[in-house]
Amino acid sequence: MKKSIWFIVIILTAALIGYGILEISKEEEIRASISVAEAMGGGDEEGYLRATGPREFVFPDDHGPHPGFRTEWWYYTGNVFTKDGRQFGYQFTIFRSQMSPPDSGAQDNAFNENWNTNQLYLGHFAVSDVEAEDHVFEERYSRGAAGLAGSQADPHRIWLEDWEIIRIETESGDDKNFTVNIQAEMEDGTSINFDITPSKPLVLQGEEGYDPKGSEKGNASYYLAFTRMQTNGVITKDGQEYRVSGDSWMDHEWSTSALDEDQEGWDWFSIQLSNNYEIMYYQLRNSDGSVSEFTNGSVIDPDGNKVNFDTGEVTLEVLDTWKSPHSGANYPSAWNLSIPGKNIDLQVETAFPDQEMDVSVRYFEGVLRLRGVMNGEEITGNGFVEMTGYGENENNEVR
Amino acid sequence: MSSENKDLIWLSSLRFLLRHPWHFGLSILGVALGVAVVVSIDLSNASAEKAFELSTEAVTGKATHQIQGASEGLDESVYRSVRIEAGIRSSAPVIEVYARIQGLNRTVQVLGVDPITEAPFRDFASQEAGIDLSEFIGGRNTGLISQNTAQEMEVEVGDTLVTEVAGVYHDIQLIGLIEVENERSRQALESILLIDINTAQRLFGMQGQLSRIDLIIDENQEGTIKQRIESVLPEGAAIVRSESRTETVAQMTRAFEFNLQALSMLALLVGMFLIYNTMTFSVVQRRPLIGRMRALGVSRNEILFTILKEALFIGFLGTLLGIIAGIFLAQVLVQLVTQSINDLYFVLSVQQLSIDPYSITKGLLLGIGATLIAAYWPAREASKAEVTTVLKRSSNESKILSRIFPLAGAGILVGSIGGLILLVPNGGIAAGYSSLLFMIVGFSLIVPALIVGMAKLFRPIFGKVNGMIGKMAVRGVVTELSRTSVAIAALVVAVAATVGVGVMVDSFRTTVVSWLGSQLQADVYIQPPSSVARSADSELKPDLIEVLKATEGVERVGSVRSVEVRTNFGTDNLVAIDHGDAAEEAYQLKEGENTFWEAYDTDPIIMISEVYAYRKNIGLNDTLIIETDAGKVPFTIKAINFDYASDIGTVTMNRKIYNRYFNDDAISGLALYAEEDVDVDELVNRLRVRADGMQEVFIRSNRGLREASIEIFDRTFTVTIVLRLLAIIVAFMGVLSALMALQLERSRELAVLRANGMTPGQLWNYVISQTGVMGLMAGILSVPLGILMAYILVYVINLRSFGWTLQFAITPDVLLQAVGLAFIAALLAGVYPSKKMAEANPADALRNE
Repeated sequence: MKKSIWFIVIILTAALIGYGILEISKEEEIRASISVAEAMGGGDEEGYLRATGPREFVFPDDHGPHPGFRTEWWYYTGNVFTKDGRQFGYQFTIFRSQMSPPDSGAQDNAFNENWNTNQLYLGHFAVSDVEAEDHVFEERYSRGAAGLAGSQADPHRIWLEDWEIIRIETESGDDKNFTVNIQAEMEDGTSINFDITPSKPLVLQGEEGYDPKGSEKGNASYYLAFTRMQTNGVITKDGQEYRVSGDSWMDHEWSTSALDEDQEGWDWFSIQLSNNYEIMYYQLRNSDGSVSEFTNGSVIDPDGNKVNFDTGEVTLEVLDTWKSPHSGANYPSAWNLSIPGKNIDLQVETAFPDQEMDVSVRYFEGVLRLRGVMNGEEITGNGFVEMTGYGENENNEVR
Repeated sequence: MSSENKDLIWLSSLRFLLRHPWHFGLSILGVALGVAVVVSIDLSNASAEKAFELSTEAVTGKATHQIQGASEGLDESVYRSVRIEAGIRSSAPVIEVYARIQGLNRTVQVLGVDPITEAPFRDFASQEAGIDLSEFIGGRNTGLISQNTAQEMEVEVGDTLVTEVAGVYHDIQLIGLIEVENERSRQALESILLIDINTAQRLFGMQGQLSRIDLIIDENQEGTIKQRIESVLPEGAAIVRSESRTETVAQMTRAFEFNLQALSMLALLVGMFLIYNTMTFSVVQRRPLIGRMRALGVSRNEILFTILKEALFIGFLGTLLGIIAGIFLAQVLVQLVTQSINDLYFVLSVQQLSIDPYSITKGLLLGIGATLIAAYWPAREASKAEVTTVLKRSSNESKILSRIFPLAGAGILVGSIGGLILLVPNGGIAAGYSSLLFMIVGFSLIVPALIVGMAKLFRPIFGKVNGMIGKMAVRGVVTELSRTSVAIAALVVAVAATVGVGVMVDSFRTTVVSWLGSQLQADVYIQPPSSVARSADSELKPDLIEVLKATEGVERVGSVRSVEVRTNFGTDNLVAIDHGDAAEEAYQLKEGENTFWEAYDTDPIIMISEVYAYRKNIGLNDTLIIETDAGKVPFTIKAINFDYASDIGTVTMNRKIYNRYFNDDAISGLALYAEEDVDVDELVNRLRVRADGMQEVFIRSNRGLREASIEIFDRTFTVTIVLRLLAIIVAFMGVLSALMALQLERSRELAVLRANGMTPGQLWNYVISQTGVMGLMAGILSVPLGILMAYILVYVINLRSFGWTLQFAITPDVLLQAVGLAFIAALLAGVYPSKKMAEANPADALRNE
């Protein structure tokens, strides 16, 4: 024996054992996901209420929630300006989503000292700082129970924790048209605190507020809107407070199912023109890229009268697109919108490209810049565009 | 010298080992046993700790802080305030209870959560993980368990889990499985049942209540965020760091684990003595060989290193074997350790032994290190000696005989140092154990002198019983003192360890039994099943209480309420008692003022257990600040009572005082006093019939509860008893190996006896007598050392670990067992060598030398 081989053997064995043990005991994070049997998932509309035809609206009740329908939203967008003309756009939406049909044992009881509910609330809040081309947004969830989130008609209040839309009493207000206060703050301190008063009467979109979105009966929503609302208040961004005023637009829509199976998304425009007209126009897109026949729009005149137009004669030509660095989706970013029957021809573009809502369900919600001609007169205006269903695997839309 | 020649010495050493396989094997076994015990205890402790850490991690998630209520629950409105008024987004409501699921043989933690707010905290419990909200929070009783647990239980999605919480059964439908992504998650989530917070409130009667609110607070903003939260918190609610909860729990078991470790070190110490014995032996045996080598020019250092190398070889093989055996042994021990922790402290489920590299390394170092240390002195002794004296063994024997008194003197000195260490104030548990070590070493140094003395005493007795051979056998022990004394000392230590632990457990048991006798004054006791055997953290249903109270034959009713509260010391156990005048009889005061029982009805005063007083270092007339629903309230300590039910300590107050400060009507246990002439067993039956179907509760007579309590006591000490058993096995193996080697080595001497006319029968008698004498000596000597060890364990180590006052109880069983153990093992050790020598041809044996 030339060397004490066993010394080497000992060291090697010890090293091997040590290595083996260290290998076994590597620290890892606790990670897991949930698997659910296919059959357990919900998804069908059985048991829910459906929008099947025009109905009589009663106020203030119909400004409140409509439990029994699966989806409902209160949707505020607007463009506000500081005294020196600095522009901010905002979106503030609270969605109500019912998780099981009305008679399944759970209940909507936001005030009950109880966490039992079938109502889920989702909030989206975004501010577009046009000058800085900065779009900040936040998403929130809560169950509609234990006082955490909920909605009620009288007194009108829709809230998700400390994000809130609440009626404030004014001399001119009545149960149909009243002033609301919206307060919301993001984690980073961006906040709004606005008093919002309808400048024009309530608009019942579609057929007297009944708005079919697909060929199947019940694939429709009830759709109420205030197309121009005087907005005053404070916006806080990057630690700075701005006193602002401007115009908001409110949509309140509820349905159980809206899109047909082969519809993949929509482009929706809300436009407030400098001549005190407003235009609402949306087109549903089929999965083959064509525009669905269930495309709709309306023009509101300065007195608040709604004039429907023949959507067949509307042309919406995409002039430019923008590719989102977040999702890779290609969104249109400039259009030519022409409604010959109303003598309207508008050049529309996003105020700045990146206003994508990169939340649980991705979509684009952005401030528009526009100019054009109406009845031979040069006009400008403000507006918002919402685009959904762009990009891959994006067919699971909330809205 | 060249390395070739060094190897030659090493080869001769190896050859020696191989030619003495018994000796070689027993040395390895000695090391292996010691290491196995240490490693197995260490691994069990580490596994329990890891399991605790993992389950805490699963339940706490990434929470940095928690909001807790004053007593058990927290009003859910606090959550609303925190979330909406204070605007704290990283907050999540949690309900946590313990439960058992039919078909799963362990306690699970039921976690009631709101999946919507869970993502930052516990991603497996969040909406984002894929929980189907409509199924989960939709108002039905639904839940999720991990896929491995489902496999273990053989259930599938859609099946019903029958879940028992505090004696009430609930059907929970399994709507999905938590699919773990790695091994760590698998372990962390295997005992979790995840349900919606609403389901939890409804099922567990916690409407409007939460267990706590979890928070994630950014370190940089801790101050301002805490302020924001505190501005909306009601009295009694407070923010605590989430680790503080873990720390409290870890602290509870620290003393327990330390004691287990110390006991395992005791086993290693015994193992070390055995190694020392075998190494000494192998050196003594080779003195002629070593002498010849030295005469041939091998240097002292080469001899020293060769022997140390040999020790290293034995140490390594033994340690390796010991580690492997330790891992197997740990599989059994971990269950016992877990059981004890479950009974004593909190619910823990350890499904798997985790092989902690630290424990293995420790075992490796201890085993090899101990062998080297044990071998060092014999090796040094052999290498230092002069060539001429080394060749003669007799020199060694005469040297030790002349040294027995100096040795004994040194022993007394070392023992005294051990005694002095005990006097060090605030010495702690470690000082207790080091004192123990000194005393053991000191005592073993006195052993040679004691052997000589005992031999004088034994010789006439053995002469009478066994004639000439008896006398020879006794004298042989003294004439070969250099070998026998080490062997006997090793045996004494090994056997004494079993005596020490045995007496300690007996003392403990005697004390608890007598305490239970006075503590249990009522006739019938009612408790809901509790997840932790020695605490009452569950509640009795109010309607059940009414039914039981109104049962015929019940004269009076007492009650207890046990809750966790925050004090200025951390989280402590508060017991509110309503026993009327019976309390005075039931609670034995260690210290207290005469007027205590008068004032305790009306004044904000408390009684603390001696363990609590010891742990917190507080005493009579000190003030304890308890966070109540009415804010922080100072209570004056006016009595200290004996309490052996909790080793963490309890604070006791009158229920009337409790009601003044806490909004809590719940009752954790009832004590019923029977009317005179009522048969208690019949009353128990009557109560059981009436309680049937309302809540599964334990209804036990005084005797029944006493028996159940003692059973739990015994169960928590199982691990100690197993350790003692292991020490006995080590001791037994030690006796066997030491004496067998001793006799095998004497073949030449025995051959001379045979050649001089001793018959094989007489030889057999001689060898057995001699090992028997040594065993008897070891057994007898182990008694005083054992009692000394027990004394230190009971009055120093127990006191410093837990603070209990115990009655010292020595039962003859333990002592007889020790002497018997040593004696029988010694007799057995003689069997093989005597048989071999009796059968061998004496001429061969003589020629071999």
